[in-house]
Formats: sequence, C-alpha cells, structure tokens
Amino acid sequence: MAIDLSDVRDQELVTRIRGGDEEAFRGLFRRYAPNAMALARRVVRQPSLAEEIVQEAFLALWRNPTGYDQERGTVRSWLLGTVHHRAVDAVRREESQRRRAEGAVSVDVAQPDISEEVAAELDAPEERRAVRKALDELPAEQRQVIELMYFDGLSQSAIAGRLSLPLGTVKSRSLLGMRRLRAALVEMER
Amino acid sequence: MMERRDHQGIEELLSASVLGALEPEEQAALEQEMSSHGPRCPECMELRRDYGEVAGRLAFALEPVAVRRGLEDQVVQLARGARTAEVVQIPARRNRSRVWRGLVAVAAAFVLFAGGWLARDLSGGNNATVTLPSKVVSFQGTGGNLSVAYDPGTRGVYLLGSDLAAPPSGKVYEVWKIEGGTPVRGACFRPKANGSFFRFLDTDISTTQVMAVTVEPATCSSAPTSEPFLTATITQA
Repeated sequence: MAIDLSDVRDQELVTRIRGGDEEAFRGLFRRYAPNAMALARRVVRQPSLAEEIVQEAFLALWRNPTGYDQERGTVRSWLLGTVHHRAVDAVRREESQRRRAEGAVSVDVAQPDISEEVAAELDAPEERRAVRKALDELPAEQRQVIELMYFDGLSQSAIAGRLSLPLGTVKSRSLLGMRRLRAALVEMER
Repeated sequence: MMERRDHQGIEELLSASVLGALEPEEQAALEQEMSSHGPRCPECMELRRDYGEVAGRLAFALEPVAVRRGLEDQVVQLARGARTAEVVQIPARRNRSRVWRGLVAVAAAFVLFAGGWLARDLSGGNNATVTLPSKVVSFQGTGGNLSVAYDPGTRGVYLLGSDLAAPPSGKVYEVWKIEGGTPVRGACFRPKANGSFFRFLDTDISTTQVMAVTVEPATCSSAPTSEPFLTATITQA
C-alpha cells in the first residue's frame, strides 16, 4: 500500500494536538478549513451557518483529538466527514425554513454540475482533479443520486420522492456509484 | 456464503451512511448489524475505512473557499476558552457551582477594573490568555448554570454552561432570542455528559431583550413548545 505522506503529516499534527499544541491546531486548520468551508457552504448554503459548522468541527477536534482513530482512515477524511455530518444535521433541521427562504435545491433548478467544471479547472490540484474525474466517469444517474446525497444532504428516501423513483432504484444506484468511487479513489491507490 | 450476504447488506447501508443518506431506522439497523459482527470484524473495518475515505475525499471536488480573515484566531480563542471552561469541571461536584460563580465573579471584577475581560487561562502554570467579551449575563432559573457573554454592538455570543441537567430522552435544549416579544431561534444543544456546554453563536443580539432556553423535540422547533426554564436579560449598555 502506498504511503500517503500528506496523511503522515496530518497524523503528526493530530498527535501534537493531543498534547495541546496550538500551532499544530492552527496548521491543521490552515490546511483543511478552506475545503471544510466549501463543503459546509455547499450543503447548508448559508455562509454564517457554514462558518459555525466548520468552527464547531475544529473545536471538536481540539476538545477530543483522541476521537480520531487511525484505523478508520485518513485525518482529512475524518475531519471532512465530521464537517459533512454536522452540515447534513443542520440542513435537515432547517430544511423547510431554508428552502422556503432561498428557493434553493431542487432538481428542477439547474445546479452546478461539478463534473462539468473539470475542463475549466485544468490547473486544479491533483486531488481535486482525481475526485472530479472519478465523479465524471460515473453513469449520470449514479452521479446524480450521490451528489444529491452528499452535496444536498438528502436521504435516499427523500431522493426517491424527489425523483419519483422506487426507493430500491435509488439504493442500487447509490451502491453501484459508491463501489465505482471506492475502486477509483481508494483501491487504485493501494 | 452467508458471510458474504451479511457484508453486502452492511456495504449497502454503510456506503449510504457515510454520505449521510440513511433514515434513523436504517442507521440503527446498520449499527445493529455491524455490532453483531463484532468490533474487530476485518471486512467491516475495511468497508468502513474505504467508504469513509470516499466520503471524505468527495469534499475535494469542490473549489476551496477562503476562510474569513480572523476566523483562525477566533477558533483558537474559542479552543482556549473551551479548555478554560473544562477546567471548571475539575473540582468535585459539590464545589462546581461555587467555582462557576467564582469564575464569573472574577471575570466581572476584571470588567470593572479594566473595562474588558482579560482572564488568565485557568489551566494553571500556563501563560496563555484569553480575551473574552465585555459583558456576561447569567441565566436565571433551574436546571443548571448557563451564561451568555457578548460585546454590545458586536455580532456573536458565547454560551457557557455547567452542571446542566441532561434533557429528557428524545429532547434537546433550544436557545431563543426574544425580540419585540417574538421568540427567534438561536440554537439547539445538548450539554456534555458532565453537564458542561460551550458554544459560539454567530448571531446578532442588538435587538434582543431576553434570551431563553426551552426543552424541545430532538428535531428542534421553529417556535417554542414549552415554557422557558432559563432566562437572561440582555442589555446593550
């Protein structure tokens, strides 16, 4: 398995954070806060709420750095997973209010298709290009379901209702798409 | 063969769970199924690690967003404050309320003396300092200690709690801003197991007269469904 040098550095920072090292905490914040903010904003679509979510996620790391378990994956995935989890919780709590207020998130409304931005981002970092390429190579119906789940915070049941599809169809598209992403993003790098 | 079927079920649920796409009952079914395999099931661990990695990396599909200038310092300040708040929990339970009141009193003395808070980090032997807002108001009522700290005219408040009772099963606490007699949602929270609570709310209280806390369903409420059990009068002077 290839050694992920970036994650080695991240794990070192987490080890130092466990010892109360504020500079290590700042280091991890500088490295991932922009990605965390992008994710939180995409899911909740409210800059101030997104900022609160990012802030809380990093504070949770500071308060309980032992919550990170190396066996469960990389620091970046754990951290961004925490941000995503908090953002989805927030969007579900405020779903009806927010959508009424902003008229956002409807499959009938043109949403920015992340995969379509690949061509415009030729100088994007390798990581971003790899993830976008993996998404781009998914069949459109699988990509749609995964993007609605991840970036819009919708449950499989909600997607079935929104797309007027049987729940089983949504589940199978989700599983097939995630298996492809796993193969492209995780297994290929071993 | 049976083993494979079992892991396929886990894979179906887990791959959706990492995307936050399961309903609560499906999430419970996943946790039950995984627990039946034991905490060291190699296939379960591999599935969880791999799909967790996929979910984390999906975030990198997005263009990074520059964080607001000052946010890093703000988070670090809150982190220091969190450590300070946790120090309040160290004494034996019978002393906690007294320590908490003492902390507020000490801070209030600094307000009188210096016109602002510059409270030394209470972790002991540490030279780090934390600058806190100029006003602190204790909530009145039963069920624990809660204070709100803020700078009049400046957006954002800090909520600090200790010895807070756990909300009833299936319930959360919800903070409200009362403005012109109308409750405006603040935030939902559960105290930690030791009764402590610390959070920064990015909210404007310039027109808030009172802040209140009620018990609400776990999904949170858009309007209070119970009487406040903690209230604090907010002044801007």
